[in-house]
Amino acid sequence: MQRIDENVLVSTNQNGEPVGFLWRDSNYKVRARPIRWYARRDWWLEAMRVQRGVGASVLEVEVWRMLASKRDEPEVANKNQFEIVHSKDGAAGEKHIWRLLRVYD
Amino acid sequence: MNGFTHLHVASAFSGHYGVTRPETMAEAVAATGSSALAITDRDGLYGSVKHIGACLKLGISPIVGVDLAILDESGAVLARSAILAQGHNGGKGWSKLCEIVSTAHASRGRSGQIRKEAQIGIKRSELSRLLAVDGGCTILLGPDSDVGRAVLTGPKQLATSLLGAWREMFQYPATLGVEIVSHLTEPGTAYSTEQANRMLHLADSLSIPTVLTNAVRYLEPDDALTADVLDAARHLEALGLFTPQPNAQAWLKPAISMQALAIEICGEASRALQLLDSTERLADRCRLDPVADCAWGKPKTPEKSALGIEGNPFEVLWQKAHAGIDYYYRGANAALISQVHHRLGQELITINKLGFATYFLTVADVAQMIRDMKIRSQARGSGAGSLTNYLLGISGVDPIEHDLLFERFLSTERSTLPDIDIDVESARRHDIYRAIFKRYGSSRVTLLSMQSTYRGRGAMRDSGLALGLEDDEIDDIAKNMWRFSARSFRGALGTKPELAALASAVEEDRRMNLLVDITERLDRLPRHISMHPCGVILGDSTLLQRTSVEPSGLGLPMSQFDKDDMDPMGLLKLDVLGVRMQSAMAYAVREIARVRGQNLDLDNIARDDPETFKTIRTTNTLGIFQIESPGQRELTGKHQPTQFNDLTIQISLFRPGPMKCNMIAPYLDGRHGFAKADFIHEDLVSILKETWGVVIFHEHVLRILNVMTGCTLAKADEMRRSLENPRVAPQVKQFFHEKTQERGYSKAVIDRVWGILEGFGSFGFCKAHGAAFALPTYQSAWLKTHYPTEFLAGLFTHDPGMYPKRLLMAEARRLGVKVLPLDVNKSTNEYLVEKEGIRLALTEVQGVSEAEISRIIAEQPFKDIADFYLRVKPTRRTLERLALLGAFDSFGGKRRSDEAGDDPEITRGDILARVRQLNAIKTRPASEANQPTLDFQVLERLPTGNAEPTLSEKVSTELSLMKMDVSEHVIELYRPMLEEMGVVNANELVGLRNKSEVLIAGVRVATQTPPMRSGKRVVFISLDDGTGCSDSTFFDEAQARCSHILFNNRLLLISGKTRRTGVRGVSLMAENAWDLREMWEQWVKARPQFLERAAG
Repeated sequence: MQRIDENVLVSTNQNGEPVGFLWRDSNYKVRARPIRWYARRDWWLEAMRVQRGVGASVLEVEVWRMLASKRDEPEVANKNQFEIVHSKDGAAGEKHIWRLLRVYD
Repeated sequence: MNGFTHLHVASAFSGHYGVTRPETMAEAVAATGSSALAITDRDGLYGSVKHIGACLKLGISPIVGVDLAILDESGAVLARSAILAQGHNGGKGWSKLCEIVSTAHASRGRSGQIRKEAQIGIKRSELSRLLAVDGGCTILLGPDSDVGRAVLTGPKQLATSLLGAWREMFQYPATLGVEIVSHLTEPGTAYSTEQANRMLHLADSLSIPTVLTNAVRYLEPDDALTADVLDAARHLEALGLFTPQPNAQAWLKPAISMQALAIEICGEASRALQLLDSTERLADRCRLDPVADCAWGKPKTPEKSALGIEGNPFEVLWQKAHAGIDYYYRGANAALISQVHHRLGQELITINKLGFATYFLTVADVAQMIRDMKIRSQARGSGAGSLTNYLLGISGVDPIEHDLLFERFLSTERSTLPDIDIDVESARRHDIYRAIFKRYGSSRVTLLSMQSTYRGRGAMRDSGLALGLEDDEIDDIAKNMWRFSARSFRGALGTKPELAALASAVEEDRRMNLLVDITERLDRLPRHISMHPCGVILGDSTLLQRTSVEPSGLGLPMSQFDKDDMDPMGLLKLDVLGVRMQSAMAYAVREIARVRGQNLDLDNIARDDPETFKTIRTTNTLGIFQIESPGQRELTGKHQPTQFNDLTIQISLFRPGPMKCNMIAPYLDGRHGFAKADFIHEDLVSILKETWGVVIFHEHVLRILNVMTGCTLAKADEMRRSLENPRVAPQVKQFFHEKTQERGYSKAVIDRVWGILEGFGSFGFCKAHGAAFALPTYQSAWLKTHYPTEFLAGLFTHDPGMYPKRLLMAEARRLGVKVLPLDVNKSTNEYLVEKEGIRLALTEVQGVSEAEISRIIAEQPFKDIADFYLRVKPTRRTLERLALLGAFDSFGGKRRSDEAGDDPEITRGDILARVRQLNAIKTRPASEANQPTLDFQVLERLPTGNAEPTLSEKVSTELSLMKMDVSEHVIELYRPMLEEMGVVNANELVGLRNKSEVLIAGVRVATQTPPMRSGKRVVFISLDDGTGCSDSTFFDEAQARCSHILFNNRLLLISGKTRRTGVRGVSLMAENAWDLREMWEQWVKARPQFLERAAG
């Protein structure tokens, strides 16, 4: 397992599921249906404000786990498992931030 | 697909688990068109009545259950499950649910001691037994169970056999279901979709029905932050030190999200539809019919047999009340007797119409029982307006003499059970509870519970704990939180000068910023359940099938419902309120009998004693019920009461409402003849002459409406209540205007009267309540006037007032009543009256245990210190403290001729030296027969040459060990500085000219920030300097200078101008304040000769 923690560009389908992403100048294609869950953040260590109505994004993040490989390689080639965290920013949550956290061999 | 019914929902009444109030959740669900909602509070039915009430109001079906631990035979937790009551079965499900909850709590404390650490839960075998014969409840086995854990980690056969065991034990139809929950956590962990999917397949393989829930803890995702903080409060640990909730998914998701979740869990649409369908089927089975299932709103009073009456209860009530006339109106003239008969007849007709005869007989029965126990008691509240209550001995105030109205208490316009509150001696309250349980049987009686809620300081403290702040940090902030709602904590930071330090910390310290935010979040949430201070529920023999109970600290069962739940559930609540003043007065009466051999009947003393009113008018009202506060003292000075009714008026005037509406000034002006009373119309003269035209009482409003519109008093009271409700108030206005016009009142009169009634709103006071309060006020003033020593002994022993005891000590000095030092041969656990004064009680010495005090009392008298040491077996600390405080001084005195030593007098220093010798002995003698001889034979020979402590040393010791200055007032330590500075004594203020610039000093004895008309905050500080109490007022500007000092220091020096407020009233408009000890330190630095007097 490798810890990465870098921003990536992600493309999604109409259900919001990632189908591919760009990382270190390589294009990756998601090869199986990704799995989503929600993990928590220790807001008391990092948040500046937690006033009523601040929203659950202070506390939780969406995490996607997916099997993917470089787009230009054949599908049977060595696939890795990627964990990408999705959060939203901006006043209306319009800005999507995707952050690649871990890669499993 | 239609709506979705949530079957597993914790409300905020779930002991630091749920976040949202039940009413809020029911409203949210009703707004989305769902037709039912469940409440399943943790460990109890705490929020269920509020939930049912809200559902009824919103037109949706209530479902009620509990979230409870189910235990194996060894007491280990097998599962935490929702258990739901099935409905529409004549109450079978509801009563079984009550029984399950009560059983789960019972093991924690059968014998009176609650084992706090003990697991609340029900054994599976016991639960199985309860549901085996006829079912009634459904258990939902979810992720948090042995089965749920096994599907994640164990081999497949294990999960199957575990679930098989459950199926085996719950064979009755519909008693067991599997709960499918996904909080979308990481795959392979609890509450993940993976776990839910496996549970589903497992249940299918064993043909056990499945239901989908979201195991809800809060209304919206944002509330998850609050849930984190509540988790910390529940664990009593800071965030980060325990495993927190996995994410923010436990919210009340809308139907569409739950449907999507079903598909995600099942992986296919048809199974998902089945899951949603079986969820709704169980929901339907559990919809409650509140009336048929929970006996909603049906009054329940003890059966006739339990009250010991035969025949028609109304006839019994009739006879009992009429029998009272001969006793209470002995020697009354014929006109009064006929008035009594007429009024009683009318009251009884109303009572009969409402069917409340049994209720009155019940209360009368309890009142009689209390009297038979020789305990002082008195009805309070609107009940004092009832002649029936007076004649039954429930109330001690004659409603005819005091012009009180029955209609304010009870009328056919309302049908809820009236409240009758009984004040009793606080020290005997628990005896009364036990007697009530004994008399009516434990199947008909429970105590009432109370849900306390988070307020400013409490919210901040638990928030600080969650963030891991240090205790000192939390204490410092708490000290400066005064009179603002925690909900507006952030707003207060900018406006309250004493929060300035915190405000700047917030800018720099991220944690302080978070502290403010989460404090605001916690505000108003339920905090914990406790025993209501005075409520007892009396019902019929089905009571325990209507309410769940848990053990209380008293060892008596306590209902999980609170006072607001009583009326909806038709339960009769009796308030038996412990009033320390009643104990203090009872004690004084007892001491008068013991010492003087005089037997007083306090309830039969004349209520027009001029000496008593003279005492009150001096404003030395310390220790007198209701009128000892600084504000009441000031009002007493202006008001100068001369008769009983004046006390009723004064107590009623000193309320936020009358103060806000500026009713006090016109009343005082009228009374003192500064202004002519304005009665608006001659018809109102007879009603308002007692208050010089000012409307103060509810009874005034009733009579005005009655006279001007011609309506009945009952209808008038209904209208008075409507005035408080902005929706119906316009109808009252219309009625009033129409009727008064018809009856020929001029427009000017109508408008003016309406203006008063409208502004009166909810602010007024019930005169019956005021009169009931005035009685102990008068009685305590009478005792203070005629038996000051015994009365003070009562105050010392039962401590009823708002002030620290050391202020009573100053009052005793002022009255010339001597407080005698501790003496191991004379002091007990009470303040006994002796020839020379009042003997200090042993209970004042900090750190002396109750057991030690009992041994001292049992072993008295002692012939010397060794005798005491051997028989009482005190701890070293106790022995030393008693010596330091002079409790062995009586063994001193002149040295015997055979004793060694040059000093003829034995000093306290000598005694202390002896005590330290004894404390140095490593082990105590095993028994009296086997004592080591040497050391104890020389006991009589006390050491010699040790100095007697100085007066200021004695005072310091007293303050640190008893929190009281007995030998002299603590301010005397600072006397040289105060004299040099020209500080004025409190008792000299009254002789000064208005607006004199003065300095005063003393111990802060009261701090109040009452609501003011302007909305601005004003701080009142009372200082005691041994000559009396002075009251200072701090407005905004002065607060800005010194509010950090005001709230943080005990000894203060205040500068300001005198302000005359009445004949005997003077207060200080404060300009600044200083910490007296800090000034003293600076002062003595320049004058080393005073150093040794510096003290604490």
